[in-house]
Amino acid sequence: MRNSKTQFTRLSLLSFLLVFSSITLSAQEIDLLLKGGQVIDPKNKINAKMDVAIKDGKIFRVAANIPSNSAKKTVDVNGLYVTPGIIDMHAHVFQGNDLGSYIANGQTAVPADAFTFRAGVTTVVDAGSSGWRNFRQFKAQSIDRSQTRILALLNITGNGMYGRFEEQDKTDFNPEMTSYMITKLFPKYIVGIKAAHYWGDFTQVDRAIEAGKLANVPVMVDFGEHQPTNSIKSLFLEHMRPGDIFTHTFAYGPNDRETVADAKGTVKPFVFEAQKRGIIFDVGHGGGAFFWRQAIPSIQQGFKPNVISTDLHSDSMNGGMKDMANVMSKFLNIGLTLEEVIERSTVNPANVIKRPELGNLSVGAEADVAVFSVKKGDFGFTDVRRYVLKGTQKMDAELTIRAGKIVWDLNGVSGMAWDSPEALK
Amino acid sequence: MRTYFFKKRNQLFSVSTAICLFFASAANAQEIDLLLKGGHVIDAKNKINSKMDVAVKNGKVFRVAADIPASSAKKTVDVSGLYVTPGMIDIHGHVFHGTQPDNYLSDGLLALPPDGFTFRSGVTTVVDAGGPGWRNIDVFRKNIVEPSKTRVLAFMNIVGHGMRGIEAYEQDEADMDAKLTGAIALKHKDIVVGIKLAHYIGHDWDPTDKAVAAGNIAKIPVMVDFGKALPPLPLEDLLLKHLRPGDILTHAYRYDQEFDKNGKMLEHKQAIVDVKTKKVKPFVWEARKKGLIFDVGHGGGSFMWSQAVPAMQQGFQPDVLSSDLHTGSMNAGFKDMANLASKFLVLGMPLADVIAASTWNPAKVIQRTDLGNLSEGSGADIAVFRLREGDFGYIDANGMAIRGKHKLEAELTLRDGKVVWDLNALSAPIAK
Repeated sequence: MRNSKTQFTRLSLLSFLLVFSSITLSAQEIDLLLKGGQVIDPKNKINAKMDVAIKDGKIFRVAANIPSNSAKKTVDVNGLYVTPGIIDMHAHVFQGNDLGSYIANGQTAVPADAFTFRAGVTTVVDAGSSGWRNFRQFKAQSIDRSQTRILALLNITGNGMYGRFEEQDKTDFNPEMTSYMITKLFPKYIVGIKAAHYWGDFTQVDRAIEAGKLANVPVMVDFGEHQPTNSIKSLFLEHMRPGDIFTHTFAYGPNDRETVADAKGTVKPFVFEAQKRGIIFDVGHGGGAFFWRQAIPSIQQGFKPNVISTDLHSDSMNGGMKDMANVMSKFLNIGLTLEEVIERSTVNPANVIKRPELGNLSVGAEADVAVFSVKKGDFGFTDVRRYVLKGTQKMDAELTIRAGKIVWDLNGVSGMAWDSPEALK
Repeated sequence: MRTYFFKKRNQLFSVSTAICLFFASAANAQEIDLLLKGGHVIDAKNKINSKMDVAVKNGKVFRVAADIPASSAKKTVDVSGLYVTPGMIDIHGHVFHGTQPDNYLSDGLLALPPDGFTFRSGVTTVVDAGGPGWRNIDVFRKNIVEPSKTRVLAFMNIVGHGMRGIEAYEQDEADMDAKLTGAIALKHKDIVVGIKLAHYIGHDWDPTDKAVAAGNIAKIPVMVDFGKALPPLPLEDLLLKHLRPGDILTHAYRYDQEFDKNGKMLEHKQAIVDVKTKKVKPFVWEARKKGLIFDVGHGGGSFMWSQAVPAMQQGFQPDVLSSDLHTGSMNAGFKDMANLASKFLVLGMPLADVIAASTWNPAKVIQRTDLGNLSEGSGADIAVFRLREGDFGYIDANGMAIRGKHKLEAELTLRDGKVVWDLNALSAPIAK
């Protein structure tokens, strides 16, 4: 049908366009340039003053001195820290108005977007709010309706965290159904399994691990509320696999939850052994699971958590936890370096949930970026018992970018001056 | 480690014995539960703007005076250098959160549960601005008012279904029933403090007049979000002919324009500041004199520097600061009430006026003069703010920035005498 002449014209037009576009591209090929910040990207071993260029929602380049004239928009982030978007591996965001429920479609869960971007978080992992029966509802009303990337640990209990009594139902711990949800239906969203709030023996943990083996995903264990307590040594060394996650690491409930540090504040030797073996220790601060009397001696003795996370829900949001930036600030004030804090909130959780594409600023990665200021001054931080630790540093999320789009700007650093000639046009 | 902890325990023991003995002997003296000591109190109702202590007992304000002795209190919090005010009242929130898939701000996913946004910015009372209508005010009470720690009140929508969707439900004049709305408002008068009309795109006055009629029945004010009509209904007529003194124009500093295909500028809601001359329109001053209330209602699209800056320069301050909190505003220019209050400081509004416009003024507007003040016997809803100095930036609903030297931060929030927010652990005991 085509004659060679039209084809030739088309071809030359195309090549003209290509040449033309490559010229303009090199002029302003970058959509957004974060200029002059200190980049901390532990995965790529960067902790240096660098610029970060974003194009088409992806990281385009990270290098020193990328010229502003190559970007459509440049934001000056001098004096600030540029990091991968923070991953909060332990949150509860299956909010709803089932007044009979605790967290699953209940009011104790909170909407993700309200707490994430303002703290530099771009990905949250919901830690077991839903089970195989109500995950679809969670997806429809929370995951699909949020700007925050929401991933999930599926509860080994079919109805998720509906309530403490329902969570005791042994007949509802179903490894097959739980693993099918991951392997057959929602591998994109479900990254692991959660066992929590069980009052009995090791049954729940073992079923969760069975499901974890079937689906080849990690299991997160909230191992408390047993009376008398169950042995965490046995949990770490005989039940959990390397890569499985122990959350609420610095909880102190001596009567119903064995602690990592003993009454004298000494970290138990098998805890170090477990961490060496590959057990992941997660903070999961929450409303009742973070005590200075556990955290401070642990850090002093070199036992550092692998992952920093919030356990965000309505009973933690206004207490000692507040938000992810506040929890990160606490660790900054008890002896972790800023780089160690960022590592435990980006690349580490990404690896734990087997999402190595997240939590880094590699070229080509989706442009989830956080920009923090570290304020110096006189600050106070409380644990869940409202004991205070005075601190001198506090992190503020200045700018948060999700897939290349600015979703939070605390001090208007990305805004045009309202009375500039361009704005008044 | 061993000796350290042993010693520590011994110390603890003797300290607690001492405390017990002290309590036993001083029980009479310690009549105050909580004493906020050394702060600068701003209480517009009681015309206080000076350094004073605030004593709380049994969940109520017990005394406000200079130099209340710490020995008379079970617990004293040092708030020197900080501002102590009544808990803020946000009369324009959207907190009728629900999971109905297409219900917008009425039991829908765009509204937010209140407690996550109130206490951390010094707010203790939020008024939902028209989320529920008479058909679902009971759902609102059950799902939101009763379970929330924040005090939640409402402007009930003149639309029976409330804000269930701009394009459909909120245009249904058949669902706007003045008598029914007024009657149900009276039935729920403990939580319904006003009537709301919003988002109406039709070119007639019936919905406005119905809202006012409902307001007359229940003896409560009407708040109008003067909608999306094209060509617009004249703002002058709304303020001077249809609304009553005490009724509220929200989104006072909004300016939205659209251009038709011939390039002619069309205004949906006519602005209070003339876009060309930059002058506050004369009828706006007249309306204020008549007693109309101008409310900020910042939201995701309703606050522009290009309106607010000239208005403030000409002395046209808002009567009430409010949020228009919803998922579209929470992470944008609005952020939270403390951020909004900071914006008005940047615009030159005196701190005492900013606090009055967030406490006592809104209390009067919604006819709840029991709130928004620190009078003795009032419920102890209290906010403590730090006025930070530095280089800050603020963006409007168009993403335009302004720089400022001040920022208000909520340090401590009390609701009925209970600490519900404590940013820097001012009220907490020391760990070691």
